[in-house]
Amino acid sequence: MPTAAELLPGTLDLIVLRTLVRGPMHGYGIAQRVKEISKDVLQVGESSLYPALQRLLLDGYVTAEWGASENNRRARFYTLTAAGRRQLASEREEFERVVGAIHAVLRFA
Amino acid sequence: MRIVRRLEHWIRSRTHRGELEDELAFHRSMIEGNLIARGWTPDAARIAARRTMGNETLSREDARHVWVWWWLDALRQDAAYTVRSLRKSPGFTAAVVGTLALGLGANAAMFATVDRILFRAPPRLIEPATVHRVYLYRTSEGVEAERSGQYLRYTDLARWTSSFSQAAAVEERALPVGTGDATRELPIGIVSASFFELFDAPAALGRYFTPAEDTPPAGAAVAVLTDAAWKAQYGGRRDVIGAPISIGSTRFTVIGVAPPGFVGLWPERPPSAFIPVTAFGPMNGTNTSAWWSSYDHAIGISTIVRRKPGVTVAAATADLTTALRRSYEHQLDIEQPNGPWTLASLRPRAVVASILSERGPEASSFARVALWLSGVALIVLLIACANVANLLLARTLQRRREIAVRIALGVSRVRLTSQLVLEGVLLAILAGLAGIASATWTSSAMQRLFLPDDVAPRVLTDPRTTLFAIGVAVLVGIATGIVPALQIGRHSLTTDLKAGAREGTYQHARLRGALLVAQGALSVLLLVGAGLFVRSLRNVRHIPLGYDAKPVLVVDLNMRGVRLDSAHLASLNDRLLAASLGVRGVEHASLMKTVPFEGIESTALFVAGIDSVDRLGEFDLNGVSPDYFATMGTRILRGRGFQPSDGARSGPVMIVGASMARALWPRANPIGECVRLSAPDAPCTTVVGVAQDVHTHSVSDESGYYFYYLPASQVRPDYTGLFVRARNPTRVAPLLRSRLQAEMPGASYVTVRPLSDVVGDQERSWAVGAQAFSALGALALGMAALGLYSVIAYGVAQRKHELGVRMALGARPADITRLVVGESLRVAVLGLALGACVSLGAAHWIAPLLFQESPHDPVVFCVAGLVLVAAAIAASLLPARRAARIDPTTALQAG
Repeated sequence: MPTAAELLPGTLDLIVLRTLVRGPMHGYGIAQRVKEISKDVLQVGESSLYPALQRLLLDGYVTAEWGASENNRRARFYTLTAAGRRQLASEREEFERVVGAIHAVLRFA
Repeated sequence: MRIVRRLEHWIRSRTHRGELEDELAFHRSMIEGNLIARGWTPDAARIAARRTMGNETLSREDARHVWVWWWLDALRQDAAYTVRSLRKSPGFTAAVVGTLALGLGANAAMFATVDRILFRAPPRLIEPATVHRVYLYRTSEGVEAERSGQYLRYTDLARWTSSFSQAAAVEERALPVGTGDATRELPIGIVSASFFELFDAPAALGRYFTPAEDTPPAGAAVAVLTDAAWKAQYGGRRDVIGAPISIGSTRFTVIGVAPPGFVGLWPERPPSAFIPVTAFGPMNGTNTSAWWSSYDHAIGISTIVRRKPGVTVAAATADLTTALRRSYEHQLDIEQPNGPWTLASLRPRAVVASILSERGPEASSFARVALWLSGVALIVLLIACANVANLLLARTLQRRREIAVRIALGVSRVRLTSQLVLEGVLLAILAGLAGIASATWTSSAMQRLFLPDDVAPRVLTDPRTTLFAIGVAVLVGIATGIVPALQIGRHSLTTDLKAGAREGTYQHARLRGALLVAQGALSVLLLVGAGLFVRSLRNVRHIPLGYDAKPVLVVDLNMRGVRLDSAHLASLNDRLLAASLGVRGVEHASLMKTVPFEGIESTALFVAGIDSVDRLGEFDLNGVSPDYFATMGTRILRGRGFQPSDGARSGPVMIVGASMARALWPRANPIGECVRLSAPDAPCTTVVGVAQDVHTHSVSDESGYYFYYLPASQVRPDYTGLFVRARNPTRVAPLLRSRLQAEMPGASYVTVRPLSDVVGDQERSWAVGAQAFSALGALALGMAALGLYSVIAYGVAQRKHELGVRMALGARPADITRLVVGESLRVAVLGLALGACVSLGAAHWIAPLLFQESPHDPVVFCVAGLVLVAAAIAASLLPARRAARIDPTTALQAG
C-alpha cells in the first residue's frame, strides 16, 4: 500500500467543499470519501479536518446540523451554502490556474 | 457576519465544546466499527482508532482557535491564573494595591485640580479655542498694570474692533440674594445679553434677556436662574417664571432657567443666576447716573471676545490694541485725569488670551503651585512604582521554581512575560479603582487648599479623571510588571530547576537595591521640599504684622442700596460701636475705613520742606475710633493715641506709622508737626503720636508703603464697618452678628468674619506648599520605609542559611543585627547622597516660591537626612531582630 500523500497546502478547504457538493455529510464521511475517490492517495488527517470544518463554518461556507448517521448514530452533518458554492468555484479556478502553471513549468522549463 | 458568528460562538462556547467532543467521539467510533467489521478485536480496534485520531485535545484546541482569537483565550487563562495566585497571597496583594492606590489617588486628585484650572474649557462653550479673555494694560509712573472694568471701555472696544464676531461683558460677584433673614450672599453672573450666544445652551425654561433689555443707563431687572439654583431653591417648579427675586439692592423678575450644566465661565463657583450687566451697573458705585458713560467708573467687568474665522490671535491683538488706544484718546479728550498723562506715556496695550484665566497673563501663583504639586505627586507615584516593582521582583524570585517548571512544560517566554505583565496590570487596575475612591477624598482636601470657595471636583463621576487614573494605572502596571519579566530572561532553566530557592537568589538584589536607593533619593527630595516650605511659612508667620489677627473680628456693613445722610450714618456707626461693646466677651471695638490687604484709602499730603510727598511712596490712611489701637494690639511708640476729645469740633489730629515718621521727618521729633491733607492750603493736622508699623499690602514686604490714622470723628463717615476684639472670637462672632443686625436699617445687613482669615489668605501659597509637601513627603517616606522593610525582611528570609552558618561560626546576635541594619543604612545613605544632589540641582526652581529661605538651607537638609536614616533603621529593626534569633541548627538542617 503506497503511503498517503500530504495534501498541498491550502487545498484542504477546497477538497472538503468539493466533497460536500454531493450533499450533506458528516466529518467521518468526508474523510472516507476523500480516501475512496483518491484511491487512498489523499488522506485527510482528523486533526486538520475538524479545524478546517470550523473555519468553513466561521466563514459561512457550510452549515452544520445534527442528524442520524447511516448506522443510526448521532452525527453532525455539514451542508454547503450558496456562499460555499461560490467559494468552491473561485478556489477551484484559482487551483487549476496554479496547477496549470506548475504543469507548464515542469514540461517546458 | 463573521464577527456575529464569532460572538455567538463565544457566548455558547460551552455547548460548542461539547458538540465538538461528540463529533470527534463519533468519528472515532466509526473507525473502530470499521476495523471490527474487518475482523479486529474490539480492544485492538479501539487503540488503533485512537492512534488514527491523533491528539484529540490538540485538534479540539485547534478547532476552537478558529473561533476564538488565541490571544484572547490566553489572556483569559492568564487572568484567571493571576487572580488565583493573587488570592493565594492576600497580604502581598493588599500591600501592592494599597501602595499604588495612594500614589494613584494623589495623582488623580492633582489631575482633577490641574485639569480644571488649566485645561478644561467652560461647559457648553462653542469652539472654546476661538473665545478669548481680554486683558488691557496701561503704564503709569513706569509701571505697567492691567486696568479694566469700565463699561464704557467695553463698549468702546466692541465698537472699534473688527476682528471679533462676538463680544460680551462678564463678571461674577457674590451679591446678597433674598430678603430678611433668608438673605444670603450668592455668586451671581453679571453678563451682557450677548454672553449667552457664545454658548450652546438654549434656555430650559422661559428665555434669556435680550440686547433691548440690556441697555444703559438701566437695564431691565430680569434674571435667569441656573439649573442648580432653580432645583435647589425653587424645587424645579415651572411656575417660577415671573417670580420676584431680590439681588443686590434691586428686585428682579425671573424670566428664564438655564439648561443643566450651564454655569457661564465659572464651573468652580457656579452662579445662582445671571443678570444684565446694565441692571448691575446702577447698584454699583455712588454716582449712579454716570456708571456707563464715564471712564471713572470701574464696575469690575471683563471683556470676552470670539475671533472671526481666519483672524489670527496676533491680528486680533493688534486690532484690539488700536481700539484701546482710541479709547484712551477719547478718555483724555473728555476727562481731566489728575496727572500729566499722555497717550505716549500710557502706552495702552491689549492682550487676547485663553478663556481660562489661569492660562492668561494675570494667572495667580496657584496654577504654578498646583503644577509643582503635580510633579511631587508624580514622584510619590514613582516611589510607589519602585516599591511595587520590588515586591513583584521578590515574588518572582520566590516563584522561580514554579516558573522554571512552567517553562519546562512548554510555556513560551512571551506567554510567561505577558502573564507577569498582566499580573502587574491587574494589580494596578485594582489599585487604580481604589485610588479613584481615595482621590475623591484627597481631591476635596486639595480643593480646600487651593480653591477654598469651590465645590470639590467630582473625581468618581468625572469621566476625564477616571480615564486618566485608569490610563496611568495600566501604564504603571506594565512598567512594574515588566521588571520581573525582564529577570526571567536571565535565568538558566536547569540551574533554576536544580537549585532550591536558596542558591543564586541573593545576587539579584542589585536591581532591587537600586530601586531602593532611588526611592530613598526621591523621599529626600520631597522631605527637603517640605522642610523649605515649612520654614518659609514659619518665616512669614514670624514677621510682625503690627496688629493681632487672632482675637480680632471684622464686621462688614452691606447697605444693599440703603442710603443715609452723613448725620444718620454717623449715628448708625455710633450705635453699632456701642452695641458691640455691649456683647458679652467683647473687649474693645473700633470703627474703621479699610481692612488690611483688602482696600486702601488715601489723600494727597503736603508737608513743609518736602516738594512732593507722593514721590516718597504711597501713603494710606484709616479712620478709626479712640479704642482702635487697643482693639488691634498696635502699639503707640511715641506721643498719645486718639481720645474721645478728638472730636469733630476740636483741632484735627493724626497718628503716623514709625516708617512714615522717619520718611517725613528724618531728624526731627514728629510729635507736633503739621501735615496738610488734600490741599496745600488746608488747615494743619497735628501729629500727636507715632504707632508701630503695620502690614496692609503684603505680609512679606511693605517697603514703599506708609500708613497713618485719623480719628473717625474727624473724617467723612463711611459704610465700611468695625473691628472688634474678643477673648473668644469664634464664640462671640454669631452673638455679635445678631446683636448688630438689630441696628441695621431696611434691607442692609452685617457680616462678621475673623481677621485671621484675611491674613491667612495672604499666607496661603506658603501654607499650601508646606501642607501639601509635608503630606506627600510623609507619604513618600512611609512608602520608602515599607519598601525597605519588605526587601530587608525578604533578604533575611533568603539568607537564613548563610546567617545560620555565620552564627555557627561564632557570630553573636549583635553582629547579625549590625549586619542587617548596616545594609539598610547603606541603602539609606546612598539614597540620601543622591537625593541631596538632586535637591541641590533642583533648588533654583523652587527658590522663587520660598520666603526668606535659602533653597540650600543646611538645617533642612540635615533634618531630611536624619529622618531618612531614622526611617531606614526603623524599617530594618524588625527583620534584624528576626535574623538575630535564627537558630543555627534548624537553619543549617533546613538548608
